[in-house]
Amino acid sequence: MSGGPAVRVSIESQCERQVQEVSLDGLETYVPPLSMSQNLAKLAQRIDFDQSSDSEQESREPRSQPEPEEDEGVWGVFYLERSYVVFSRFDSASVQTPQVFQLISKKKSLATAAQLLLKGAEKLTKSLAENQEQRRQRDFNSELLRLRSQWKLRKLGHKILGDLSYRSAGSLFPHHGTFEVIKNTDIDLDKKVPDDYCPLNVQIPSDLEGSAYIKVSIQKQSADIGDLGTVSLFRRQPKAKPASQMWHLKLEAAQNVLLCKEIFAQLSREAVQIKSQIPHIVVKNQILSQPFPGLQLSISLCHSTGEKKIQRASPDKSKPDDHLYVLEHNLHQLIREFHKQTLSSVVMPHPASSPFGHKRLRLAGPMAYDKAEISSLQQSEGLLEKIIKQAKHIFLRSRTARTIDSLASRIEDPQIQAHWSNINSVYESSVKVLITSQGYEQICKSIQLQLNIGVEQIRVVHRDGRVVTLSHQEQELQDFLLSQMSQHQVHAVQQLAKVMGWHVLSFSNHVGLGPIESIGNASAITVASPSGEHTISVRNGPESGCKVLVQFPRSQAKELLKSDVLQEGRWTHLRGPYREVHWGRMEGRNFVYKMELLMAALTPCP
Amino acid sequence: MEAPPVTVMPVTGGTINMMEYLLQGSVLDQSLESLLHRLRGLCDNMEPESFADHELVYLLKGQQGNPFMLRARRSLLHPTAPWHLRYLGQPEVGDKSRHALVRNCVDVAASHSLPDFLNEMGFRMDHEFVAKGQVFRKGAMKVVVSKLLRVLASGNTENTEPMSLSYLVELSVLAPAGQDTVSEDMRSFAEQLKPLVHLEKIDPKRLM
Repeated sequence: MSGGPAVRVSIESQCERQVQEVSLDGLETYVPPLSMSQNLAKLAQRIDFDQSSDSEQESREPRSQPEPEEDEGVWGVFYLERSYVVFSRFDSASVQTPQVFQLISKKKSLATAAQLLLKGAEKLTKSLAENQEQRRQRDFNSELLRLRSQWKLRKLGHKILGDLSYRSAGSLFPHHGTFEVIKNTDIDLDKKVPDDYCPLNVQIPSDLEGSAYIKVSIQKQSADIGDLGTVSLFRRQPKAKPASQMWHLKLEAAQNVLLCKEIFAQLSREAVQIKSQIPHIVVKNQILSQPFPGLQLSISLCHSTGEKKIQRASPDKSKPDDHLYVLEHNLHQLIREFHKQTLSSVVMPHPASSPFGHKRLRLAGPMAYDKAEISSLQQSEGLLEKIIKQAKHIFLRSRTARTIDSLASRIEDPQIQAHWSNINSVYESSVKVLITSQGYEQICKSIQLQLNIGVEQIRVVHRDGRVVTLSHQEQELQDFLLSQMSQHQVHAVQQLAKVMGWHVLSFSNHVGLGPIESIGNASAITVASPSGEHTISVRNGPESGCKVLVQFPRSQAKELLKSDVLQEGRWTHLRGPYREVHWGRMEGRNFVYKMELLMAALTPCP
Repeated sequence: MEAPPVTVMPVTGGTINMMEYLLQGSVLDQSLESLLHRLRGLCDNMEPESFADHELVYLLKGQQGNPFMLRARRSLLHPTAPWHLRYLGQPEVGDKSRHALVRNCVDVAASHSLPDFLNEMGFRMDHEFVAKGQVFRKGAMKVVVSKLLRVLASGNTENTEPMSLSYLVELSVLAPAGQDTVSEDMRSFAEQLKPLVHLEKIDPKRLM
């Protein structure tokens, strides 16, 4: 009993439960007590299940202080398997380890080890599959990156679209040229991945599928215009199947098809609009025009979609290679130049508000240009005209070469040589033609012709400065060369006479005597020996061949009549009658050689 | 001698009936570089073309209310290039769904005596400014990014000050009347420039 004021003492029981959190107003939240199953689980974790449940040793061990939960009879099964640490006398002699127990324990431990390994292996396979899936994901993105580095892409909603047209390079062709990028998900993870599998696929417009090229060829004109119907076909197919092609091959092929379509559209538009003497015919996918009479130039767009086998039209099969690759390449170059022109900075407006157009044409108004000046500024020649000119030139050049070669193989004396120049333009080439005699090239080199082959004409420049213009006719060139060859023989005699010491008495390139030649003119020369006793007269014509006459002194003539006028003996030294030489029976491999022998024979040794 | 008769009928056809389709927007100075990069990538592949122009706006005040306006523009970088005279009509009140501003446009190139000529005709210069920037093209579309500068002393284009801290972006196409696909192409191009710049149809009447 105390005398002081009462003190309130609060007694609180020890907190059995843990505080989970203290809220801002001081209220404590306790961790809720474990339910029965939770408690069991917590205790079960402490149990060591390695010991076998029906070992005799365990059952013999006396139980020490039981745990409070043991009172609950429901959980009795687990507690039987509990093992306790007990200190008791252990008789080592009485211990036996029966083999059965060892076997069972080993089996159990192996089973657990195996289970662990299997679990680990399962985890590994799962992670490997995930990696593969991820790699496929990454592959699509890396492919997309590569695609983006080469092609223009843009995103529209959730679709990725691209542009394969030439519009950003200056083309004005109205095709949209859009392709779509799609993800290739039709792949089965379990099956083996095919070698050419690509996670990225492109969908090109349906009219650009397959491959195309422009075929340019020159043929003899077909007699019947009805033959034009089905067009020339496709050359050998590329090997790759279209479905499994890589996207870059697909895109490049589609772009090529688009360019060929643009070229053909431009050509056909010009073919219809341009007025020319012989109108161009446009039939389906073929444009026909006549560069020279009797010839036909055909430009056709060959587009194969690769779906069905192409029906091979039989007449063309005989000539698979009359396709002029050069002209096809030139067509591509020309259209690209046309593209570049629309993009050149000459077109850009200064001041910026003026419309696009060539800057010099903008001056037409203020400077009051007339029609001639304006037309000189504007592009006068279209694609079709340019390509026809090029085709004409190619044809003329090949025909000239053929003519020269045929003459060279046919005629051995004199020899004709052609030196073609390596550098030429699309509209002009040149060749130097030399006519020589074998063995006497240094002496007889007076006939040297420079042929400038143009689009429609051949211009010949002679060594002595004469200029002759020949038309495209093959015969003209041939006749001209033949006449030059015959002139060469006579020139050769002239040169030879100089070397041998003979004197030229007369020389004419075009004699008016003798039979008329149908090709060119005959030439003639008369040379006298150094002593003056003999002369040789040669007349050579392209058609009539050569005729050689020799004049002897009167003393050697057998059938000379004695006359009263000439009484002195010295007159017999003068030259008398002519005698013809059987030229065909002369020895010598060519004309000049024979002539040299003849001259040598007529010059007596001193 | 009598003056030759003046035709009363208006001239149609040729380049008289061209319509200008226009979309406008603006960007602040600091966003200019990114816009130029974007345009460089989207437009045709050319070297970027810079320009510096001096524009004079002439008005002819008649007896009636609305004065007649003509715009004369010359290039400061190319002094020998001809002047450009432009008439812009009223915007067409078509259906509201058309995406671009459409107005009649007449473009004429003129010699260097244009200001004198206009003065003689009775036009008076209302205002002038200098525009500097770059021009891009994509097919028929023209994108002009320009900085407008105020001319402090009339006629002196050396002393200029910027009017604002932003650049004016204009997307325009010159096409004959009646082609509505043009405005669709313009709209899809303008979509690609978002969000750098919002190009939209701005009615000039609403600004006054």
